[in-house]
Amino acid sequence: MTDKRSAIVQGTLDMLILKTLALEPMHGYGIAVRLEQKSQGAFRINAGSLFVALQRLQREGLIKDEWKATENGRRAKYYALTHQGRKRLDSETREWGRQVAAITRILEAS
Amino acid sequence: MPRLRKLLDGLRSLLWGQRVSRELDEELKTFMEMATEEKMRSGMTRPEAVRAVRLEQGSAEVTKENVYASGWESGVERIWRDIRFGVRSLRKSPVFSAVIVLTLTLGIGANTAIFTLMNAVMLESLPVSNPTQLYRLGDNNNCCSMTGTQDGGSFVLYSHPLYEYLRDHTSEFEQLAAFASYLEDLSVRGPHDSASQPYKGEFVSGNYFQMFGIQPSVGRLLTPSDDSATAPRVAVMSYRTWQKFYALDPSVVGSTLDIDGTGYTIAGVTTPQFYGDTLRSDPPDFWLPLAGEPEQWRLQSANVEWLYLLGRLKGGINPDAVQARLTVELQQWLGSHRDVIPQRDWDEIPRQHIRLTRAARGVEQMQTDYSLALRVLATLSTLLLLIACANVANLMLGRGSDHQSQTAVRLALGGTRGRLVSQLLTESLLLAVAGGVAGLYVAYAGTRALLLLAFRGAHFIPISARPSVAVLVFAMLLSLATGIVFGIAPAWMASRSNPADALRGSGRALTGRSSTVQKSLIVVQVSLSIVLLVGAGLLTRSLRNLEGQQFGFVTDGRLIVSLTSLQAAGYTEEKLPALYERLEERLPQIPGVLSASLSTYSPLEGNNWSEYISIQGKPPDFSGTAPSWLRVGPHYFQTIGTRLLQGRLIDERDRPGAPQVAVVNDAFARRFFPKENPIGHYFGMTDIGHSGDYEIVGVVEDAKYQDTRGPAYPTFFLPLLQVHAGEPVRGWVSTIELHVAARPENLEPGIRQAISEIDPNLTVLRVVSFREQVARNFNQERLIARLAEVFGMLALILACVGLYGVTAYVVTRRTNEIGIRMALGADRRKVLGLVLRSALLQVGIGLALGIPVALATGLGLASQLYRVKSYDPAILILAAVTLASCALLAAFVPARRATKIDPLRALRYE
Repeated sequence: MTDKRSAIVQGTLDMLILKTLALEPMHGYGIAVRLEQKSQGAFRINAGSLFVALQRLQREGLIKDEWKATENGRRAKYYALTHQGRKRLDSETREWGRQVAAITRILEAS
Repeated sequence: MPRLRKLLDGLRSLLWGQRVSRELDEELKTFMEMATEEKMRSGMTRPEAVRAVRLEQGSAEVTKENVYASGWESGVERIWRDIRFGVRSLRKSPVFSAVIVLTLTLGIGANTAIFTLMNAVMLESLPVSNPTQLYRLGDNNNCCSMTGTQDGGSFVLYSHPLYEYLRDHTSEFEQLAAFASYLEDLSVRGPHDSASQPYKGEFVSGNYFQMFGIQPSVGRLLTPSDDSATAPRVAVMSYRTWQKFYALDPSVVGSTLDIDGTGYTIAGVTTPQFYGDTLRSDPPDFWLPLAGEPEQWRLQSANVEWLYLLGRLKGGINPDAVQARLTVELQQWLGSHRDVIPQRDWDEIPRQHIRLTRAARGVEQMQTDYSLALRVLATLSTLLLLIACANVANLMLGRGSDHQSQTAVRLALGGTRGRLVSQLLTESLLLAVAGGVAGLYVAYAGTRALLLLAFRGAHFIPISARPSVAVLVFAMLLSLATGIVFGIAPAWMASRSNPADALRGSGRALTGRSSTVQKSLIVVQVSLSIVLLVGAGLLTRSLRNLEGQQFGFVTDGRLIVSLTSLQAAGYTEEKLPALYERLEERLPQIPGVLSASLSTYSPLEGNNWSEYISIQGKPPDFSGTAPSWLRVGPHYFQTIGTRLLQGRLIDERDRPGAPQVAVVNDAFARRFFPKENPIGHYFGMTDIGHSGDYEIVGVVEDAKYQDTRGPAYPTFFLPLLQVHAGEPVRGWVSTIELHVAARPENLEPGIRQAISEIDPNLTVLRVVSFREQVARNFNQERLIARLAEVFGMLALILACVGLYGVTAYVVTRRTNEIGIRMALGADRRKVLGLVLRSALLQVGIGLALGIPVALATGLGLASQLYRVKSYDPAILILAAVTLASCALLAAFVPARRATKIDPLRALRYE
């Protein structure tokens, strides 16, 4: 099995977490699993980076937390987007789109 | 909003650290559990899954640490932990900490005290609104009355007509105010007072308070309409006078006081902080309008220049342009008032100009007078602080070595050197801040002592010893800087230690390096100390020379009584002879008084009158300084103890109507009669027409009346009442000299009573012993010398303590070695020599380095020194010997302990 895991582009982890939480509130492990699935195994986030990012986002007021029971009855902290978080996600997505387009243009220029 | 949230979350985790950490724990545990279950679902056994997760995710502790470290509160917490650790470790060695804090307290306190003074004198602005808009017309402090052109062409003193001209023609000033360049001694009597009391007063223009922009505490301040000959006389009282003598009674406003014989209604009281235009001891108690000046000719005459001018520029005006314009106006005015300048100075007129200088600090009298003293003191106290720092660094190093194994363990367990250094620096800063806080108390007491020393004889000094914001900031920064200065060396040494060496149990691993640093610090201390000691020696010797010099009079058993002006007490010229006669008759009858005399002023009280003279039969010579003169009564010279050289003294014969005579001093005789006997020659004041006025009948020895350092001024003495026919008496008595048998201090009540018996309107300004009056001339010198002595002593003690500490430390460290040496046959003398040699070497190097610096310091002080060579060998040797012997004594104690070492026990030591 070839390891195709790649490092997450600097500074995009926050955006990816926000995107993940845009669908529904989730606990830490859920976020990690979702990111891995959606990237088809390309990104694997370890707990260290994840929780640092979660604390940062929370302190910026982009996400909020709540203790809830999981499907199998375990207590876990669920994170959800705040209104501000949603706005930030929109603006970051747009910015990202612009940057990717620009980078692509540069790379494809002959 | 997010910022606030960040702050709140951080605070939450700081304050409820444990709960936050528990939450994170639980969250992480869940995370790991879920990951493990996931792995188990794909077929791993539980132990396999746990292991895989841990490999993937890393340790939960590290994750926690990462999360934790990413918040801002971790930095705060780390510092807080360092502080708590520091406090704990300092409390474990209370003596050590106390010695360090005490040393720092003295160092920081001394510096803060001197900064408090410097701040008040050199930096703080006048307590008025927008002081930066204030400008003064003139750049020096020449006083008090002058005619014609001024020193170097720079106008400083102005006549009243010139002031009015400049005020009315310079529209760039919002207000241009004038005030007398000197304070007046007033005698003031309230409606219910039985006798007049002496106060200080200043004559000011009507717009003076408007110019400063200050508000009254009660009543109102002067206005231009009060400053006219026809307006009712009103005065403004200072807040301090109102508080001290009138108990803040608001009914003072509107009441009428008798001030120098004129009724003045008190218009109001100034703001509490206001002390006038000049920072000085005993500032004005009353401000009176210029129009109230008793000598009305001063207001009309364009000849007499006696006012200082200070104005507030309008906003946005360029002072350079105003300065140029003022000079043009001055030239115009002088052009239309040629008669103001004596003909001999006419070619000086084009050079006359006005320098506009910043006056945010008012007239910079004290700033000029004390700048050198303050700079010397600042240097001395900085030296002391450096010595204290070296000493403390040394103590810290010694302890650092004792804590080597602890340091080593921490390093071995993975503590970073950065954390170690920050821990040790925190400890140093803690000590420094403790020293700084305690230093503030020392500074407060010290500043009060400094003020008393610096202004001996003053009743009130408008400088507060209480630390201001600037002083607090200074003390804080100084403490931090100090902490870093003395903390760097120990921290650096510790961070360089090698854990492996230390753990191997070799207690001597660091000794070499750290004791070299310690010894270097001793060398530094010794060299700084010798500089301080030599400086103290030079300044003390100089002060002693000044105070002990031959003044040309005798201060022992003499009293000087000063009166306020006789005009103010209602005297006219016709009444003077009777008053003088009664005083001369009554005063010697006071029990304990041997003889009494009267004069216009007394030696070294800060007064000087001078006048050009013409000598009969010689061409007039107005070059050089005009000789000084005063009027004296019979027995004057005997009473103050000035000896007669030839001829006779002024006595009872010399009454009005008798032949007019003068006594001159030796300097006068040498200057005007270099090759002749002056007795029998005639001279007079001012021009040739008066050259026959006085016959010289005696020559007295030189006595210093004005300048304590230079030679006596050429001086002539005239009888009290002899004047040229048809002229008024210039110079009324204001001083009484008494030669007494008893202790001078005990006589004051008797003297006051005798004077009030003669006339209750006479106001005694002060009664001081002649010795005290002379001593007050040396306030600055005494201040500097006393402080240099104290600092020198402290430096000596600190150097000895340092040397003692280091020697004791070295002896402990070398116990082993000494034991071996003794076992191998070294006797006690050898051991003693071994230890002392090292101490002697440090002292020797310190002296070798310090003496050249001390010599340079002596040169720097040369202008302060009186009859002391800046390289005075006796002082140098004395200082070096004192330092060396004290240091050796300090080293001898531990050295002797070394000789008592029992070789057997020493070998087992460690």
